[in-house]
Amino acid sequence: MAILEGRNLTKYYGALAAINSVDFSVEKEEILGMIGPNGAGKSTLFNVIMGVYKPDKGEVVFKGRTISGLKPHRICRMGIAKTSQIVQPFTQMSVLENVLVGGLHGKNLSFTHATLEAEEILEFVGLGGLKGMASGSITVPDRRRLELARAIATGAEIILLDENMAGLNPTEIEEVLKLLREIRNQGKTLIVVEHIMRVVMGISDRIIVLNYGEKIAEGTPSEVANNEKVIEAYLGGKVCFV
Amino acid sequence: MLLFLQSLLNGILLGGIYASYSAGFSLIFGVMGVINIFHGEMVMLGAFLTYWIFTLFHIDPFLTIPFSIVSLFIFGYLVQRFVINRVVEAPPMISYILTFGIHLIISYTALWVWTADFRTVTTSYSGFNANIGGIIVPYARLATFGLALFVVVGLYILLYKSEVGRAIQATAQDKEVARLMGVNIYRIYAVTFGIGAAITGIAGSLISTYFIIFPQMGLPYTIIAFCVVVLGGMGYIPGALWGGLILGVVQSLTATYLNAGISGAFTFILLFIMLIVRPTGIVGKGIVE
Amino acid sequence: MLKRFSTTLVIAIAIGLLFVPFAGVSGYLIRLLAMIFFWIGKTGCWNIISGYTGYIDFGAVGYYGIGSYVTAILMSKGHVPFLLSILISGVVSGLIALPIGLPTLRLRGAYFGIATLAFAEAMKQIILEFDKTVGINFFEGPHGITLPIGPKNEFFYYIGFVVMVAVIGITYWIRRSKFGYALRAIHEAEHAAELSGVDTLRAKIKAYMISAFFLGLIGGVEAYWLTYITPHMVFDVLITIQMVVMSLLGGIGTVFGPVVGASFLTIIYELLHRDFPYTYAIIVGFIVVVVVLLMPKGIVGTLQTKLVTQKTRLTQ
Repeated sequence: MAILEGRNLTKYYGALAAINSVDFSVEKEEILGMIGPNGAGKSTLFNVIMGVYKPDKGEVVFKGRTISGLKPHRICRMGIAKTSQIVQPFTQMSVLENVLVGGLHGKNLSFTHATLEAEEILEFVGLGGLKGMASGSITVPDRRRLELARAIATGAEIILLDENMAGLNPTEIEEVLKLLREIRNQGKTLIVVEHIMRVVMGISDRIIVLNYGEKIAEGTPSEVANNEKVIEAYLGGKVCFV
Repeated sequence: MLLFLQSLLNGILLGGIYASYSAGFSLIFGVMGVINIFHGEMVMLGAFLTYWIFTLFHIDPFLTIPFSIVSLFIFGYLVQRFVINRVVEAPPMISYILTFGIHLIISYTALWVWTADFRTVTTSYSGFNANIGGIIVPYARLATFGLALFVVVGLYILLYKSEVGRAIQATAQDKEVARLMGVNIYRIYAVTFGIGAAITGIAGSLISTYFIIFPQMGLPYTIIAFCVVVLGGMGYIPGALWGGLILGVVQSLTATYLNAGISGAFTFILLFIMLIVRPTGIVGKGIVE
Repeated sequence: MLKRFSTTLVIAIAIGLLFVPFAGVSGYLIRLLAMIFFWIGKTGCWNIISGYTGYIDFGAVGYYGIGSYVTAILMSKGHVPFLLSILISGVVSGLIALPIGLPTLRLRGAYFGIATLAFAEAMKQIILEFDKTVGINFFEGPHGITLPIGPKNEFFYYIGFVVMVAVIGITYWIRRSKFGYALRAIHEAEHAAELSGVDTLRAKIKAYMISAFFLGLIGGVEAYWLTYITPHMVFDVLITIQMVVMSLLGGIGTVFGPVVGASFLTIIYELLHRDFPYTYAIIVGFIVVVVVLLMPKGIVGTLQTKLVTQKTRLTQ
């Protein structure tokens, strides 16, 4: 059974449908890639899954339970976390404290437990050395990792990555990909939105493609890459073939 | 029935005045995101300027308006240029607190210098009314209403038909792009504040002709301006007219049918409800962060 | 080590303060200290909601006034004993904070400030006009309410001391708790906090209600101390402004900021208000402007940042 499903999801902005009758499903420990030109509705879909928006039509089902309409913090505590396109660390707190918040509130741990876990997670993502630093003063790639660490700390089973790798150089991207694979090996499920084709094709088990709010294709990376509709959607659109 | 119509008319006339001094508040918020807590003080300053010129030099209040325009424009420009400009990039809370501080400075300095005495500007024609079918229409109020409408319309024209106005709009919509196009946004902010202050000053001058004025009168006006602008839509100038009229009528009717004091409470209750139910204003064109 | 030193110092000062009334000092000093205690208490309350969450409450005096009136009515008309009255005041204020907070804490930035300001002013108007409008004799409107005569200043000194310790203590406890982290996360990046599992609305409401409870309680105590209250006195927006400024000056969001800010400003007030009543307000205004432009973290906040930077420099 799929761990996360979206059925007929539709969300309007005024008269325009940001997403329209989108169906998708993700299996446990799968890495699902989501691509599409700018404005295709990827972020909207993520926000609907996370409960930031309530869908006008359709529902989101997590482990058999309908979660659409619940508040984001409830959904987070149930096991889904999301990183944001524009990174938002708690700037006045240290790196460790940022991750701590995730453990305290997303996973409802005690201080001692949450601190121990936070330290482990920071080691895991490679930020162990920075744990005492003010999170406002670390580099952008490190902030991205911090977002990821915080998401992991909430005890999430599914992590939604919203362009977490934008602006990273190829070496940094490789490191993050390695990290993501390891996260999956630990039993987590990932949905990855990226504009960098190489990244999405390289890491995803399956890919869904959105355009103008609708799902236009779905399948393995090679299937999607050869799909006419997908190619048509991207001609003239922004694509990065790094 | 007559009572109702009289009350309604009073409310409309009052509403026009409210609109005139709230437009500046809306402008400043719309362009700079600054909620100006000393807005009422600018009304007070305009009123007192008119009072002193009238009392000392016996110039008709309506003729003091040019003085108000110039003085308050300069005042607004300088305050924005040297003080508020330093915090426009910060979260709106900071400018809120800052303008609160300035409110204290201005209102209490005025209180110190001019004492708490109530003052009025009474001209020879203050008491003259028109009487239309039993409904009394004071000439002075009517003239003030007319001028107030003129001010709001004038501001609208300024914003949409002049070069400066266009620059202001560009800055309001996207200051980064405006910057790239060569607009000095800090100067535009200063000019905008100056304009906002100037029109508020005009309103203050007009108000002195039939409301009691005193140094502490500012804060209630600021709150009324909030209410008007929230009703009409923050940053949406024509909305100030809607908001003003609605508030004016509500106040007038509750004052007539309940009592004068409780109509004040209604302002706040109305404001509170609007913020929660429809922060973008009646017409829905307001800016909400 | 520095921490242990300062904790001992704080406890020493606290114990010292307990003995001051026995040291034969002037009644004036006792009254002044009591005033400072109450201002620290009020400012501390404001700090719990506004300092921690960043939602600047401009209607705090509303709860103070409600508390004043509840105690005044209970004691003068209901002959309810003092301690019970102030507790009820706190509870009433805290409960009123719920329906007020629920809608307003969803508003962003400055709108929350306006809404709460409107709330406080509305409360003042309502208490002023209620009796006349409804035709009864309950709140007494502008005539005000007179409470039974209270004990000497020493009594209020100790009550003030207890309240101050309670509020600062709670502020301290919150900072180090899960709840505190939630509030600070809300302040820094509310959306990210929500996504990380923080029930933001609940946390904000909780902070708001705690703040309201203590403000109501303090309002009740001060009503008894003043012996006579009117709506203009206890719903005065200047009270809120002073809470804001004291917090700002001392350091918004710090535990001891309110202590520093309240002490400083109350002393200035005492020095000025008899001979130069308006100057106090003008100075407060200038302090606001100067602090906002030059020292936004306040005295304690700026000191803390300096210490942290020093520490980081040393460990590198």
